[in-house]
Amino acid sequence: MTRHPTQFQAATDVADDTAAQADAEAALLRRYAQGDAAAARLLAARLTPRLFGHAVRVLGDHAEAEDVAQDAMMRLWKIAPNWREGEAKVSTWLYRVVANLCTDRLRKRGTTGLEDVDEPADPAPSAESSLQQAARADALQLALDSLPERQRQAVVLRHIDGLANPEIAAILEIGIEAVESLTARGKRALKQALDGQKDALGFSDDR
Amino acid sequence: MEGLFEQARATPPEVPDALMARVLADAQAVQPTAPSSRWRDWLAVFGGLPALGGLVTATCVGFWIGLAPPAGLPDLGAAVFGVQSASDDGFESIAMTGFGWDIEEEL
Repeated sequence: MTRHPTQFQAATDVADDTAAQADAEAALLRRYAQGDAAAARLLAARLTPRLFGHAVRVLGDHAEAEDVAQDAMMRLWKIAPNWREGEAKVSTWLYRVVANLCTDRLRKRGTTGLEDVDEPADPAPSAESSLQQAARADALQLALDSLPERQRQAVVLRHIDGLANPEIAAILEIGIEAVESLTARGKRALKQALDGQKDALGFSDDR
Repeated sequence: MEGLFEQARATPPEVPDALMARVLADAQAVQPTAPSSRWRDWLAVFGGLPALGGLVTATCVGFWIGLAPPAGLPDLGAAVFGVQSASDDGFESIAMTGFGWDIEEEL
């Protein structure tokens, strides 16, 4: 179940939703630590998709994203008996682990992927919406791949995972103003990258 | 650009089955075992709480039958305590009538 707050959902609804979710996840983690096998299945079903989805967007690679997601969940299983309730949310903690793992992998690659922008995806010759959609999806990932890692993580957390700035600040372990700065710069860089792709691909529609 | 974000939010990548299987296997491998107490271990020997309930019930019923047996069953309690009844005038006490197994003599 993916929950993405849209601009049409009242702020209080979002807060209630996320608070209830957080309580449920903490309760499941407690039951897992007490030996409940069903709790493991439920937790994995709730948490793995979000982590995997985030890692795919940040790393631009499905195989690496799988490794990161599995690593993060393993750390959760291991810390479960010592989990202190009422401090961090389970999901915030997990996102932080994933962010650190992604940062490690990106730094190991040794590059921010700038050269990817030189190899655009095949242009969509027809106006078929599915082809256009596929090309647009690739365009976003290509553009994301060109961002510096911190901007990339902030933009994905904000605009794809749909998290609020305070939570992003907790995840990236920076201040809220730093988050706002990163997302603003990231969006500007994305726009530049996308415009650059459009010029290269010859998109005629306006975005 | 917001349209691209919306599209990305609407089409999250699916978790591969193999990944989910690995995550669950990891969970099982490091999961703490349920805490065991010695009381529960003893219960397990008898077959658990449901079985213990049956044992208790059987014990109670047996005690009840011994105290107040239905007609036809030997009443040792009455014999020991000498319960007076109209038919009991010594000759027909249970011991004299062979605990209900006496055979009428045919003349």
